[in-house]
Amino acid sequence: MNPDYRLPHSQDSYGFGFLDEFAKREIRRVILKAISIPGYQTPYASREMPMGRGFGTGGLQLTLSMIGPDDTLKVIDQGSDDSVNAVNLRKFAELTCPEVSTTESTTEASLIQTRHRVPEIPLREDQVLNLQVPYPDPLVIVEPSEAKRKIMHGEGDYARLLTKLYEDLVKFDEITISHRYPTRINGHYVIDPSPIPRYDVPGLHQSRALLLFGAGREKKIYAVPPYTNAEPLVFDDVPFRTESFYTADGQRRACDRCGSIDSFLDELNLDDGSKAWQCSDTDYCNRQLARTEAGEATQ
Amino acid sequence: MKPILDVKGLTRIHGTECPSCLDMTGPEHNTNVCPACGSVVAAANVSFSLQPGEILGIMGESGSGKSTVVKTLYFDQAPSRGSAIFRDDDQSHELFNLNGAEQRWLRNHRFGMVYQNPNLGLNFGISAGGNIAERLLMNDLNHYGDIRRRASELLTRTDVMVSRMDESPKQFSGGMQQRVQIAKALATRPPLLYLDEVTTGLDLSVQARILDLILEIQHELGTAMIVVTHDLGVIRLLASRTLVMKYGRVIESGLTDQILEDPQQAYTQQLVASTL
Repeated sequence: MNPDYRLPHSQDSYGFGFLDEFAKREIRRVILKAISIPGYQTPYASREMPMGRGFGTGGLQLTLSMIGPDDTLKVIDQGSDDSVNAVNLRKFAELTCPEVSTTESTTEASLIQTRHRVPEIPLREDQVLNLQVPYPDPLVIVEPSEAKRKIMHGEGDYARLLTKLYEDLVKFDEITISHRYPTRINGHYVIDPSPIPRYDVPGLHQSRALLLFGAGREKKIYAVPPYTNAEPLVFDDVPFRTESFYTADGQRRACDRCGSIDSFLDELNLDDGSKAWQCSDTDYCNRQLARTEAGEATQ
Repeated sequence: MKPILDVKGLTRIHGTECPSCLDMTGPEHNTNVCPACGSVVAAANVSFSLQPGEILGIMGESGSGKSTVVKTLYFDQAPSRGSAIFRDDDQSHELFNLNGAEQRWLRNHRFGMVYQNPNLGLNFGISAGGNIAERLLMNDLNHYGDIRRRASELLTRTDVMVSRMDESPKQFSGGMQQRVQIAKALATRPPLLYLDEVTTGLDLSVQARILDLILEIQHELGTAMIVVTHDLGVIRLLASRTLVMKYGRVIESGLTDQILEDPQQAYTQQLVASTL
């Protein structure tokens, strides 16, 4: 991004939040519809954004149509506030939404836009999580025709998705979906919860915060409203499993930085060929680190 | 006993229909293409009834509309006109007035279909067991262990080696593919089974084993079946009653023995004479 470039929001060309008011109104209306029909992929007219589709334009349009001057925005990418996607989207919001404050703290944010993770710290009722979605339809792996997929969703016909899980169990004795795990919302629609790891899927269930999913390229918005059931698709006798961070000798791996043993860890390959594990949620990691250091200081 | 299936005036016309379509086609005009508008009359005014546990044969040359009849009853195609009442326990369903979801429910739960081409009935991208699992999952059986058990029972019943259950049907011979299709169709123990040219293209010994299997199933489960074929041997072996179709019309119907021994229509006589 050119650091000297400024969008001309002082002139009347661009309103607050880059999108024009008609676009915002349409997206807000679609959000309301998505909340009313939990898990239903509501089509909308995804606008051109000054970045390529597939770079989080769906999540960004959700954010820009909802944000107001008194909001505090947090943008994360794979849990991190500092990776390229997160930094650029945050800068864009700072440029186009004057007076909006941004933060890296999960607890201070009123609006969180995220790519591929749900924050470790449980969200509150007054927070909204906007997830960036590359592929909104979980049925796309079994049915290429969108017209047929719509009928399958309408009739709650997910047998072929379960057949895929059956085949996985036959071949590998395990369901091999690592992220984008198909999840049934409120007993009917099955959604693709965006590429969050399996570890985050239980966090969607009865979430206190409103969870919104925006797919800019595929032009769909869907929602998991607060206090709604979200159940991963499984067989009755094969329970859902999240990623295991246990070593061969039964030890739960800890974050090499903050020492936390209850967070989702990223595996890092170090220069000397060894491996290290670190919290994927940087805000959580910093918080844990600060707490440990404060504890050591008082002792 | 009330018939399990009552079909009345089933008609299927492809194209822009005109009033003379039905008058200007049929065996007496030697065509099923309407000379006025060019529409193809695939089936016209087909009516029959099927008793529980009965096997009804539909025979005729290719293009006579026999597959069309079965495909409309299985909801693969929509009919242009006509009605079909399916009686299931105490309920009776007017097949062509149901909405999509109800039709899909019946198709998945109460009907079974075995196509001539296993490509249509099986998904070659998944294992043979997976194909059966799919149908069981459509019936809300959601227990992995139960699905495995039931699938291997069905494959054993249809003489497919259980050790090959997890292979793709692509690697199977034609006869085995047909038997997997039959196992899949039987997975939900349907009271009504459609068999569309199941033995066509198989060698004689395999044909015989599949026909034996079909008869055994009918004796064991009392499944009513509609068997579509152009093979008189199949009709003779399986069907107790038979319809003969030509150019979309039923030209003769009755007991199979009667039709094969004493055919009334010239076309049927020709058909019987050419094979015997």
